[in-house]
Amino acid sequence: MEKKSFHLFHSNVDAIAKWSSLRDEDFAPATETEKESMVEEHKSVSYWKDAWRRFRSNRVSMISLFVFLVILLFSFVGPYFIAYSYDEQYREAAKLFPFEKTDVEKAAQALLDAGADGVLATSMLSGSQTYIKKGDYYIVGKNGQTYAFRFAKSKEKSVLVLESDQEPALWIVDQKALISGSYEKTPVEMMDTPAEGASELKMMTSFFPHVFGTDSAGRDLLARCMYGARVSLIIGIVAALIVLVIGSIYGAISGLAGGAVDFVMMRIVELIYSVPDVLIVLLLQVVLKEPLQKWFDGAQSGIVKSMSDLGVGVVSIFITFALLYWVGMARIVRGQVLMLKQQEYVTAARALGVSGRRIVKRHLIPNCVGQLVITTCLQIPSAIFLESFLSFLGMGVSAPMASLGSLCSDALDVLQNYPYRMLCPAIILTVLVLSLNLVGDGIRDALDPRLKK
Amino acid sequence: MVFYTLKRIAAAFLTLVLIATITFFLMNAIPGSPFMTDKSTPEQIARANAKYGLDQPLAVQWWRYMTNYLRGDMGVSLKMQEGTDVTTILFHQGKFQLSIRVGLWALLVAVLLGIPLGCIAAYNRGRAIDSILRVLTTFGVAVPSFVFATLLLMIFAVELKWLPVLSNSLESPAAYVMPVLSLALYPSCYIAKLTRTSMLDAINQDYIRTARAKGLKTGKIIFKHALRNSLIPVITYLGPLSASIVTGGFVVETTFSIPGLGKYFISSILNRDYPVIMGTTVVLAALIVIMNLVVDIAYKIVDPRITLTSKED
Amino acid sequence: MSNLQGEDRVLLEVKDLRVSFFTHAGEVKAVDGISYTLRTNEVMGIVGESGSGKSVEAYAIMGLLQNPGKVIGGSVRFDGEDLLSYNQNQMADFRGSRAAMIFQNPMTCMNPVYTVGDQLMEALRSHRKDISRAEARKRAIEMLEQVGINNADKRVDQYPHEFSGGMRQRAMIAMALICNPELLIADEPTTALDVTIQEQILELMKTLKGRNNMSIIFITHNLGVVAEICDRVSVMYAGHIVEQGTVNDIFYNPQHPYTKGLLASMPRMDMIGHERLIPIEGTPVDLLDPPKGCSFGPRCKNCMKICLNNPPPAVTVGENGHSCACWLQVQEMLKQKEAEQHG
Repeated sequence: MEKKSFHLFHSNVDAIAKWSSLRDEDFAPATETEKESMVEEHKSVSYWKDAWRRFRSNRVSMISLFVFLVILLFSFVGPYFIAYSYDEQYREAAKLFPFEKTDVEKAAQALLDAGADGVLATSMLSGSQTYIKKGDYYIVGKNGQTYAFRFAKSKEKSVLVLESDQEPALWIVDQKALISGSYEKTPVEMMDTPAEGASELKMMTSFFPHVFGTDSAGRDLLARCMYGARVSLIIGIVAALIVLVIGSIYGAISGLAGGAVDFVMMRIVELIYSVPDVLIVLLLQVVLKEPLQKWFDGAQSGIVKSMSDLGVGVVSIFITFALLYWVGMARIVRGQVLMLKQQEYVTAARALGVSGRRIVKRHLIPNCVGQLVITTCLQIPSAIFLESFLSFLGMGVSAPMASLGSLCSDALDVLQNYPYRMLCPAIILTVLVLSLNLVGDGIRDALDPRLKK
Repeated sequence: MVFYTLKRIAAAFLTLVLIATITFFLMNAIPGSPFMTDKSTPEQIARANAKYGLDQPLAVQWWRYMTNYLRGDMGVSLKMQEGTDVTTILFHQGKFQLSIRVGLWALLVAVLLGIPLGCIAAYNRGRAIDSILRVLTTFGVAVPSFVFATLLLMIFAVELKWLPVLSNSLESPAAYVMPVLSLALYPSCYIAKLTRTSMLDAINQDYIRTARAKGLKTGKIIFKHALRNSLIPVITYLGPLSASIVTGGFVVETTFSIPGLGKYFISSILNRDYPVIMGTTVVLAALIVIMNLVVDIAYKIVDPRITLTSKED
Repeated sequence: MSNLQGEDRVLLEVKDLRVSFFTHAGEVKAVDGISYTLRTNEVMGIVGESGSGKSVEAYAIMGLLQNPGKVIGGSVRFDGEDLLSYNQNQMADFRGSRAAMIFQNPMTCMNPVYTVGDQLMEALRSHRKDISRAEARKRAIEMLEQVGINNADKRVDQYPHEFSGGMRQRAMIAMALICNPELLIADEPTTALDVTIQEQILELMKTLKGRNNMSIIFITHNLGVVAEICDRVSVMYAGHIVEQGTVNDIFYNPQHPYTKGLLASMPRMDMIGHERLIPIEGTPVDLLDPPKGCSFGPRCKNCMKICLNNPPPAVTVGENGHSCACWLQVQEMLKQKEAEQHG
């Protein structure tokens, strides 16, 4: 190494003056620990924790997740908080606007406001039982007092009123007369103790509003929307799971087997892919209906029973998904498997003599999981979409069952007069699909930042 | 190129045969005879079955369908317009024309709206206009077409009375507006999203950097170098798009009471009019299959890397 | 190879250039105050491992930085003009005509949907509006011939995917040189190619350089390539130039421990017997959170107390602008001064 002579370089003169204050100990060798302390180690975060952090920092996904949870509560918990059920028909209450009260309700409310303890309007009982059968009854009043009586004839279109501080305490009035305002109180003849086998009558003290109004059959639209959202959600989730299971098994087998098996399996996928699905789906809906109904009627076992509760329409949608919609998932899984198969750690595992099953369990599945979650998440809204499409065409769920699509379909004919009957389920459907799409996008971005565009 | 095209045409033909076969067996899987009603006696049903050859073995019926189709004979309607040729029903009563016209307009609107919107969003990435477009297109993809269609009906026909409520035979241009818009909503939003993503993807490619290093101006980079590359995924989407327009057609024709193929298809299924079901399915499937064929060939024109002969792998 | 005659003037002067990337995790100082000058007809090599900021610095000169990257300080003067003050349009006019750039991966650097000829002609015609298509085509064929592509008149109508990797890089060079730029920035132009093709491309660049009168900035992590083509070399580490000098200075009189490490880690023809190659220990710096003092400190065998907290200054250590940024040099300098005072 040649000898250097620094001071000859003019550019260094100033510098030398500046550093002359430095001492020898400044130039002492640094210890290993000191060297290490220069670099701060970043903590490595686990994949899922990191993904969750990314998801949380995405405001749109968080809001969508919240909205989705609200809809979930709405559809599964909501029904416990309202007085009506999705299939009860209230003949007096047909075609009501949101929050509109029937004439009976109005008149009865007036009585309550005037000090009545409770009323019972026969026409506001649910379903076809819009009368009180003849027989023995009793009513428990506010102060615990029991009013027992007997109807010798069944009572129809009448209102039973309890006014414990008035005389007579219990009277009955004709509904029409009550509405018109000029009515006579007919006292109910009381007994001292309830007769053997008397049943209790519950008096109404307030009237639960029909928040979304009612349909032509007098069913509460809010209850039907809740139920419809539930049906749509179940369809979406179950269909996505069906697709997930069939698609990933098929794709994994095809990818892992390779060779001729893979070739044949992929030609089948291509074939199914090229068939215009909607045409076949529509046909399937009709084809499946009768055999399914027969099967449901004949069967006793638990699973079939619970399926028949869901209805023929819903189950045939599941079958359709199982037959046609798994091909996309199968392709994705096969692609992932092929990609991972070529990766070095799998080759290494093979070379070390690790069994095929273990490779699948330890290497393939953990690496596929992200992609599977994403695809499944985005499958849910598309299943809901398809169901609503079929129901809208009158081929999916049928009354008294409801799905968001069938509710919209029912409302189509009366759109001009009752637009809210379309709007309510349509808005819920749109918000549900939108939130699911956005949550799915958020999960995709969180699980695989490389996919983020 | 010629060989490839021929091969694709053969594959398309096979697909059609497959679809016709599936349809045939599916509709025959519906239990009972299409002539079964509450009042009909077994003799009447048997007579009607014999008249239309429905008493023959399935294989024989299938073979008759296939050979007749090759000769362009689609059979006669069993119930809906009893005795009328299915070809007449589909093609000479304006149904096909009506559906095709609405569908093509929707296709055009979707492409002409979707691509520019996607470009604008990509070009203004991160700015307000991008966010607005993203919200709109996300909504457009999430709103089911029947919801959008009825919304249009409610606003423009019922409330404002600008457009006719029923579009029946689509005589005036105004009658087209709502059906076409509701049919085009989903695909145009989807195309806009697709264009934006693939545009942004293209912008990050090395060749765009090369174009910038060459000293090209931004406009030229976006509209010459990025756009053509980002159109490739959009073109691949045109195949599924035609299918989605056929699907949407069912809904839109139901909503606006347009007597087109879609509406007729649905009533033919509900009525179990076998030849009409077959005819409509094959015609609609043929539309989709032909569209896929066109897309495959258009692909070659936009992307020179695809050599058609080796595309199968 | 030295090319430092008096008639050459300063073409490019980079002073204290700073480039940062503003990511969600924080500011990444990719280029942290680098200075050098490049004279006409000179080939300057910029060497460093990946992530050392060598490409970013080149992008900054060409105005090719993309969000979230930003020039946050310093100046870049090209032929006396301040490039950083140019607006987008001026910069676009400058790129391609006065300074051109070629990139690492020739497979992806050409637009797959246009023919090679189209892309060459576009480069020419976007700067020379007066040239007709026919003329531009003729020029494109000429350029392809110049870079050694056979059947250029047929090749000109082919698409990039019909070219091999080496041929594409040749075409890229033809495209870069079609406007006779004064400066060519080559960002790892041979890294993605086979060794034999690498050699051919280097030869080509050498011949073209002589023929076209241009300066070249050659960015690479391969010291062997530098020795072959460069006049001067800047060694970059973590956004700093740690040492610069002539090829001879760097190869035969390296001063910075990092340069020494680089040389020790590469095989050399003049190595006697079977000396072992010694890799540099440790991993490159995390630029999100660089060490307070010398960025090479954590990997340096000679790390001293002062290195822990003070970034080293650049001092001149030899003729022809040989400089080095290391406290060891300062220590030596101070010792020498003390000896002089006492003696």
